[in-house]
Amino acid sequence: MTGLIVRRLMQLPIILFAIYTITFCLAWLIPGNPLQNPEGRQPPPEVQQAMLEQYKLDSPWRFYWDYLGKATGVSWVLGAHDRPFDLGPSLTHQDWTVNEILAAGLPVSITLGLLAMLLACAIGLTAGVIGGVKPGSAADFGTLLIALIGISLPSFIIGTVLLVVFGVWLKVVPIGGWGGVRYTILPAVTLALPFAAYIARLTRFGMIDEMSSDYVRTARAKGVPQRQVVLKHAMKNAFLPVLSYLGPAAAMAMTGSFVVEKVFAVPGIGTHFVNAVLSKDLTLIMGVVLVYSTMLILFNLVVDVLYRWVDPRIEMA
Amino acid sequence: MKILAPFVLILAALMTVVYLDDAPPRADVVFVDAAEVFTLDPQRMSWMQDFRMAYALYEGLVRWDNTDFSIEPAAATTWTVSADRLVYTFIIRDDAKWSNGDPLTAHDFVYAWRRAILPDTAADYTAMFFAIAGAEAFFNWRVQQLEEFAEQNADLDPQARAKAAEALWRRTEQRFEQTVGLEALDDLTLRVQLVRPTVYFLDLVAFGVFYPVHRPAVEGWALNDAITTQMRQHGWKRVDEPDFAEREFANLNPDTGRFEQKHGWTKPDRFVGNGPYMLTHWRYKRGLRLGRNPYYHSPDRVGSDSIETVSIDDINTAILAFESGRVDWLSDVSAEYQADMLAERAAYDLRYADRIESMLANGRTVDEALAALPPPESGERRNIHTFPTFGTDFYSFNCRAMLADGRPNPFADARVRRAFVMSVDKQIIVERITRLNEPVSTTFIPRGSIPGYESPEGLPYDPERARKELEAAGWVDRNGDGLVQNAQGEPFPVIDLLYSTNTPRYKNISLALRDMWRRGLGVRVELRGKESKFFKDDLIQGNFMIGRGRWYGDYGDPTTFLDLFKTGDGNNDRGYSNPYVDGLLAQAADEPDPAKRLRLLEECERFLFDEEVPMLILCQLVQVYMYEPGKLTGLSHHPRLTQYLWQLKVVAP
Repeated sequence: MTGLIVRRLMQLPIILFAIYTITFCLAWLIPGNPLQNPEGRQPPPEVQQAMLEQYKLDSPWRFYWDYLGKATGVSWVLGAHDRPFDLGPSLTHQDWTVNEILAAGLPVSITLGLLAMLLACAIGLTAGVIGGVKPGSAADFGTLLIALIGISLPSFIIGTVLLVVFGVWLKVVPIGGWGGVRYTILPAVTLALPFAAYIARLTRFGMIDEMSSDYVRTARAKGVPQRQVVLKHAMKNAFLPVLSYLGPAAAMAMTGSFVVEKVFAVPGIGTHFVNAVLSKDLTLIMGVVLVYSTMLILFNLVVDVLYRWVDPRIEMA
Repeated sequence: MKILAPFVLILAALMTVVYLDDAPPRADVVFVDAAEVFTLDPQRMSWMQDFRMAYALYEGLVRWDNTDFSIEPAAATTWTVSADRLVYTFIIRDDAKWSNGDPLTAHDFVYAWRRAILPDTAADYTAMFFAIAGAEAFFNWRVQQLEEFAEQNADLDPQARAKAAEALWRRTEQRFEQTVGLEALDDLTLRVQLVRPTVYFLDLVAFGVFYPVHRPAVEGWALNDAITTQMRQHGWKRVDEPDFAEREFANLNPDTGRFEQKHGWTKPDRFVGNGPYMLTHWRYKRGLRLGRNPYYHSPDRVGSDSIETVSIDDINTAILAFESGRVDWLSDVSAEYQADMLAERAAYDLRYADRIESMLANGRTVDEALAALPPPESGERRNIHTFPTFGTDFYSFNCRAMLADGRPNPFADARVRRAFVMSVDKQIIVERITRLNEPVSTTFIPRGSIPGYESPEGLPYDPERARKELEAAGWVDRNGDGLVQNAQGEPFPVIDLLYSTNTPRYKNISLALRDMWRRGLGVRVELRGKESKFFKDDLIQGNFMIGRGRWYGDYGDPTTFLDLFKTGDGNNDRGYSNPYVDGLLAQAADEPDPAKRLRLLEECERFLFDEEVPMLILCQLVQVYMYEPGKLTGLSHHPRLTQYLWQLKVVAP
């Protein structure tokens, strides 16, 4: 187990370096000048050139190494820079540094993502077990239908409908923004629904399989009550495929959803994945990608460790 | 059930986090702006939402009365102008203070204006300060010095370079004092020497980029109690400047020699302003909140105790937030269904047309009249409002002789441009395509927006004349295929029509133009939609034949529009160049008689839009607001549409 963790952690910098390099190449190729206003006045050309130099945008080579040094903290270790892990000033939100932007957005995205995952598990597992225990029943059909809606309706429609019903008509939640429990409920539900639907499907199939397996029949033959058969025996095994799905799903939910953040005006980091690219905000693109990659790698590691702990038969490289 | 324990724990932890991150109670006035505030540094501003903040957080020497745009005193009590209109002397109020209690002095203005002129700051509006004597020469000198610095000192070791950078900075400061016509005669007297009699100079001074900043806050000076006390008495000018090592937000870059500004000072705990409000909260993407500046000299002018702008990107969500009562004012309703909402407003207006008219006749404002009427029924509304602005929507013709790919450019010929302009039915576009019924226009400067200025006629919609112009330019349908060819039989090049895709507006207008030109002139048009950043790049490089554009004026003078046609101007996307236009603009700049000057500018616009038409002008831009009439008061409806947040007030209905 420790071997696995150490090995994975040693791979981390290599993977990150590769991601950094590829992202940088792609981001640099985006046409346009991040320091330019798409509308309105242009400063004199000398000033524009000076700005490019100041942000090291005049040469890809300079930017690449300078940013790498500052972001990893190597420049700090060498004494060339005053702090480690400096992801630079944002090129399009110039009063903010990328570190400030991530520090403001990441906690929001993580909180919302975790809440959504908990909700998704609660809804998904319950629906899946109900459906899986009696396939073909009215309950199964009902949960299937709900799952279908959860997967196929886009978040912006669900989100808008929820806003209209609970925000405008019933006036029980405030519309737009973040800060306190009341702001959190609707976006969490909207973000959770597609995940819940998928988990419900996974659980249902798992349950159907397990319920018809030999050990369940044996348990029943011994006279174990239905409740115990379902919750103690069958569900444990039906949960395994869900667990392996939870790793990437959690990373996906926690890095924010562009649509959910936009509809509910949630100040997370999901919008930056799209907006930073559109405005060619190089420092923000690189910062967001580096942080996201690190999170994704660490999450996969956690899930792998959990998986081995739950099911020691699994061998992993 | 053991398995549930960690989930419950996580949930509890999350709820605690969420609970602790609670939002402050609602501000007195809450609004949503078109976009996130970009910067609170007045010298670096160039967006409408930023200037809105500038007018609340800072106060300039003078300000516009935003109902008629006359000039009124603000931080200055009085000013005098020399007989030749070249020297302005401002006397600053003796009770004007910064939000930390320091006195406002003339040195604050010298410092702020110097920032705007220095190329190091990279201000979008630097050129506006070139009205001041010596400013342009100083700017060029500094640019050149910095270039030489980078070349000469490349081989030095870092410490020597840092020394050289500091020496250059000292010389720069000295040169500014000696050569630029800007001087603090004493703590409360500012004298400005201009290059030429700029009749609109006071209008410029009322503009946000001319507002002062508090130097110790901006540069992040390390302060002790003794210095703080001294500054509270006399301002920072009497205090020794700290070394660059002791300035948190300012440093000299040893590689380039440049003065570099960090932006940490615009955050609530560090911010210092001299306006009616101060910054109490600003969290990225969560909104920005203003509270009263306790040291403001005229607290009675300020309408509300607190004002908040919340960040809601999505216009649909913003409209829902408005409908739920969470937001009092939406400053830019650009939803796709805005025309349907405006139709509901028109239905309401129509039903009460007589009563509204009689109330207006009795001297009530539109808002008061609307508020006095019964509430709208379903299918009607009275909370959406359109206002014409000081801006124009247009399409640019590429006027360069050659296209970006080296082919000859058919639009270099003014006859072709005139033909394209006269074959467009603008009325149809504003009625059926944009459905906002903007005032259609034939001239660049919104008609009637500048007192004393007579706009020229411009070119009418006249398909017959359009075809003749095209024929005169040599483009005729010679083989009967419905398309025009030149004398050599080559067809008119397929027109590359460039637009930006950030709103559906320009795609729709471009489609309509394509059909009008196809049917009216027999030319083929290909649309090329691009994301706004890439769009601008193509526009600047001249990689288009016809491209969409829009322009808002900054100050109340025709030159804020006409300067765009100067040869080599940074905003001359059309690559247009004509010695007659350049000559008229230069002549007007030196003309001391305001009336004669306007006649010169009128002739310039006449020549441009009766004969040359480097642009196809569509209409005056309108702005769509949402607010409940009678509930939110203090909004200005003047076309320059400058809103002072300190005038806003929500009154109980």
